[in-house]
Amino acid sequence: MSYSRFVSLRRPVWDRFEEGLLDVRERPDTISYQELEELAVGYRQILQDHAWARSRFPETEAARRLHRLALAGSVWLQRGEGERRYGMLRFFFRSFPRAFRRLLPHMALCGLLFWAAGLFGLGSALFEPELASVLLGPDAVEGLARGRLWTESLTTTVPPAYSSSAIATNNMSVAITAWVGGALAGIGSLWIVLLNGYMLGAVTGGTLQWAMAGELLEFVSAHGILEITLILVTAGAGLGIGQAILTAGDRPRMMRIREAVRDALVVLGGALPWFVILGLVEAMVSPHPGLGWVPKLALGLTLEALFLVVALGSPEPSEAT
Amino acid sequence: MTPPPRSTLSPETVLAVDNVPLELPIARVGSRVLAAVADYLVLTLVTISSGLAFLAVGVALSLKPGWIMGLMLVGYFLLEHGYFMGQEILLDGQTLGKRLFRLQVVSADGSRASPSALVVRNLLRTLDLLVGVVLMALDPLARRVGDRLAGTRVVHRARLESPAEEWSFPADWEPEEIRLVEEFFVRLGELDPDRRGRLADRLEEYVRARSPEILPPSGDWRPEERLQMAFTPGGS
Repeated sequence: MSYSRFVSLRRPVWDRFEEGLLDVRERPDTISYQELEELAVGYRQILQDHAWARSRFPETEAARRLHRLALAGSVWLQRGEGERRYGMLRFFFRSFPRAFRRLLPHMALCGLLFWAAGLFGLGSALFEPELASVLLGPDAVEGLARGRLWTESLTTTVPPAYSSSAIATNNMSVAITAWVGGALAGIGSLWIVLLNGYMLGAVTGGTLQWAMAGELLEFVSAHGILEITLILVTAGAGLGIGQAILTAGDRPRMMRIREAVRDALVVLGGALPWFVILGLVEAMVSPHPGLGWVPKLALGLTLEALFLVVALGSPEPSEAT
Repeated sequence: MTPPPRSTLSPETVLAVDNVPLELPIARVGSRVLAAVADYLVLTLVTISSGLAFLAVGVALSLKPGWIMGLMLVGYFLLEHGYFMGQEILLDGQTLGKRLFRLQVVSADGSRASPSALVVRNLLRTLDLLVGVVLMALDPLARRVGDRLAGTRVVHRARLESPAEEWSFPADWEPEEIRLVEEFFVRLGELDPDRRGRLADRLEEYVRARSPEILPPSGDWRPEERLQMAFTPGGS
């Protein structure tokens, strides 16, 4: 068949497919089954013609047009990865716990490193008293000498509506950074873990010098327990990505990375909403002077338990027999 | 149809239904950066205008300054992380900048990128602001870190509009000859008259030697008009 005959014979099919594709692109949610079927049939005809044109009339306008149509059809008609959409409940009570469990060893490692860095920071601050003023600044140290935590001024001068937003968004950014750090072969995640552990230890050590550690621990007890857990969880998810990048094992590296990224993304998605609650707690409950440490600690432990119930509580579905 | 061995395919090639190979028109670093610049301009404008709008609404509703600032902060956070992510999910792998430069995010096999892949590639945007351009320039598939981890590609979105005209060629013409004439007709509007005339003269000379019977009899026509008549179906 000559080129001209091929074009004149098949052009109506191409025009029809193009028209249909442009139409459904405009209204993807209202397409009927019949329209989809017609489009799918047209797509196969396009692929067939494309294969013909590619071998018989390469680089011609018809071959180029068919290539464009075939590509556009592939993009529109084939959904990537066969991803299914689940509801929120299924996500939080099924997908999230599964991914969480798979990443538990990474989170445990992050926890170990966090507390090791914390102990190192505590020791550094105790053996080197100047460290506290370097980390906290002279004003905060002056406040400590007068028996006042720097957190008081932060929470009394800033309205709670603003401080809760600032705290929540800042913590979410830290969690996202810990997660993203996994892409640097896990180094970024580890950095966030070690830095936060060291800072917590060193700051606690600094307050110990002024006998203010109890006040600091009271301040962080309501929000800090879960906050640290969430940072470790998201860093653990990042570390999972890092491990997949470094050690793919026997499987293709990209496949291994995709799986790790999928799990890590689910864990991040399950962790982020808790920061909103923590932002409110940190802005409104933690600095409250009249509450005392018992209710604050109780709230902190309750939040931690709630999170762990969600993350670990859902039983694994039994294996099909 | 048996799939061709992967090693024989270029990195840009994806296999469609029945293993028909298709080359993805990968968008390179230049067009990607231009689209990103356009997006960041829009993002800046949206951030400033939404901040002012928050302020105006807050003042009009007599909200306390703490609430206005708190809401603005949340809005900024959502814009920072949601501008690219939200648009790519809602607009089929496109943002305003990508629409402007006709780019689209697709999955590695050329199909529509999944929402989770789009979330992943955008979460990694902060890291890519540091290393993305270099990686895109070095990679044959122009992937930044986000694309690598999400398994996505950015491609030129196919312009579907069909050619307005159809040309007729002698049955014994080779594809290279057909391509030569088609390219001349496609570029006709872009060429300046002088260059157009020169090219038309050379092409007519070639056609006269190859298939003189399709050329119209001599008349008061310019060479490009004579060529158009020669290749119009049933024209000469």
